[in-house]
Amino acid sequence: MTLTIEMLFPEIANLYGDNANIDFLSRCLPKASIVRTGLNETPAFASGKVDLVYLGPLTERGQLRAIKRLIPHRDRINQLIESGTHFLFTHNAMEILGSRITNAEMDYDEAGVGIFDFSTEVGMFERYTGKVMGAFEGVSQPIVGYKSQFSMVSSSPEIPGFMTTTRGIGRNPTTHVEGVRRHNFIGTSLIGPVLLMNPHLAQWLLSSLVLSPTPEIALRDMAVAAYDARLREFHDDRTWSSFERVSS
Amino acid sequence: MTELTVPVPGDRHGPRFGLRALAAVWIGKCAGLALRLLGREGTHVPGRIALWVCPDLLSSIARPDTVIVVTGTNGKTTTTNLLADALGTLGKRVSSNRAGSNLRDGIVATLIGGVSLTGRCRNDVAVLEMDERSALRVLPQLAPDILVCTNLTRDSIKRNAHPEFIAWVLSSALSPTTALVLNSDDLITASLGSDSNNRVFYGVDPTGDESREPSGSAVDAAICPRCDEPLEWLFWRFNHIGSVRCRACGFASEKPDTRVSPIDSTTGLRSLVINSESVSVRLANESLVNVYNVAAVAATLDLLRVALGTIGSVVESLTPPPSRFADEMVGGVRLVRLLTKGLVGVAVSRAFAHILSVPGRKVVLLAVDETTDRFDGVENTAWTYDADYEYLADPSISAIYVGGVRRHDQALRLAMAGVDPARIVLNESETRGADVVPLEGVDAIFNLHSNHNAAATGDVVHGKLRTRLMEKIS
Repeated sequence: MTLTIEMLFPEIANLYGDNANIDFLSRCLPKASIVRTGLNETPAFASGKVDLVYLGPLTERGQLRAIKRLIPHRDRINQLIESGTHFLFTHNAMEILGSRITNAEMDYDEAGVGIFDFSTEVGMFERYTGKVMGAFEGVSQPIVGYKSQFSMVSSSPEIPGFMTTTRGIGRNPTTHVEGVRRHNFIGTSLIGPVLLMNPHLAQWLLSSLVLSPTPEIALRDMAVAAYDARLREFHDDRTWSSFERVSS
Repeated sequence: MTELTVPVPGDRHGPRFGLRALAAVWIGKCAGLALRLLGREGTHVPGRIALWVCPDLLSSIARPDTVIVVTGTNGKTTTTNLLADALGTLGKRVSSNRAGSNLRDGIVATLIGGVSLTGRCRNDVAVLEMDERSALRVLPQLAPDILVCTNLTRDSIKRNAHPEFIAWVLSSALSPTTALVLNSDDLITASLGSDSNNRVFYGVDPTGDESREPSGSAVDAAICPRCDEPLEWLFWRFNHIGSVRCRACGFASEKPDTRVSPIDSTTGLRSLVINSESVSVRLANESLVNVYNVAAVAATLDLLRVALGTIGSVVESLTPPPSRFADEMVGGVRLVRLLTKGLVGVAVSRAFAHILSVPGRKVVLLAVDETTDRFDGVENTAWTYDADYEYLADPSISAIYVGGVRRHDQALRLAMAGVDPARIVLNESETRGADVVPLEGVDAIFNLHSNHNAAATGDVVHGKLRTRLMEKIS
């Protein structure tokens, strides 16, 4: 069976090196078909079988472009999420699927695709950068990563997160709940890229995609060595600043 | 030629200069004198203190008749220096922050240095380098006559986010009376300003050897800004630098008013063309980066109504400041030292591309960790995937010695780029590679380090390699 991975709008969704997530999956799944769907093209998922839909970080105007392109496919996206299709939306890509994005400095308040009941506030002069460490139910090892973003997501706590932080902030500085999870949809504001930085998460995702408990992880030893080094550092209290914590 | 908006004497430069501003200037001057007597650096300190005394000093201090601000991701320091030199050569009294801070405080300190104790401006022109992110704190009050933007490419993810953000910051801060000198080969830079601004463009003509297909991690202008269709590249140099057109709607890169031709291999001359008139020039430094900088200077001088022949003579006399780059033959091996500013994928990609351009069998010593970024908040290693490590997968590079705290991340990035893991050698020490790298059968060795470890690693590695190569021939 050939897996199909669809990368949405790579010509605009390509910031912060996050598309290495797909390069990594491609190396782990050399037979997988990688479909790169341009902004003015119809997504492959709209009418065909896709095993993983990926969207990476965008500029603020890029977010609005992506929303415009995906709104016509709202029902299909919902249907695919409910039926267990895998999605990975990293950094601010997740935000476009919420109810609204507000950006006072750039003077817009736009409806999102409306898949999830959360809203995003973008502050062009309030860029947050911080580390994150937390638990994801699919793997026993902690997830580690970085945030560097203008935006914060607000939602009710009932919307399940991708992970629960043990260090660092979640969707916003008042919650440990980070990202969004629904079935096999994962949305996270982590950048890094998250799969390379977390080979155990990559293994979970690949296991789920290829239905094997022991999927082939490309460059596994090197990825684990880098992960272990970072985890040691993240376990050191001295590496954490006061702003990298959830305020009550 | 676009007409330069000439400031009205006695308007912005006189009446608002009150006692508070004068007191701020005095206090700023005293602070500067005290720092010099103490042998301290801190070129921004007089500006900071003066702004504390008079918060609107930037708009009220007496300024030269012409104020030029130079900004951009890369090349702003060199372009500032070249432009200040050029205007000095033309007999102008120039005030410039070439040795100082490019943030608001440093710019104010420079302007304070240019006025007398009575508050009168002593210079004809100010050439001020400005950090792009400082635009909102500088431009609305300063309202320069000319703003030169060299380019806007990806920079620190943490501080600069993405070039579209920086372009928005600059455009938001621009006065409609400021004339813009913009790089036409950078679609993002060329979008700065509005119809209110006088805008002139400069570029560097294609050699014919350029690709027409962009590649790499960071191409930030891939779609038409009007219709979102993919752009066609007439030539592509790196990142989003090149010339484009849209087949769907007819959009195209701006035509440069000032342009520099490729070098004539027979004469070693280039043509500097301004508004269809041409003069032959021989440049002191033929690197593409320098040619762009010279083109920016020429375009600015043209805007200041300097005659073409004079511009040609002046740009020929310009010598770029020494680069943070060394290239020498030692014991039959080319030893190259490259400052490779981590955190900035574009800069790292340029350094890697340079390695690839050098012929022969090569080894690379790589120590570009940016762990010191923790002291400024949080280190974020995402930048490594924004840099084109793929250049280092070339078979002409036989080994890459990686040292430092982030060696495992670097090794993974190299392997992801296609470097055979067997060719990657890891050392905890950033300098250990210089002790163990084989010197036989190698034509060139590259010592790559960052700013923060230039002395502790760059100097040490260079010294060790030099010593070993000298011993080899003795």
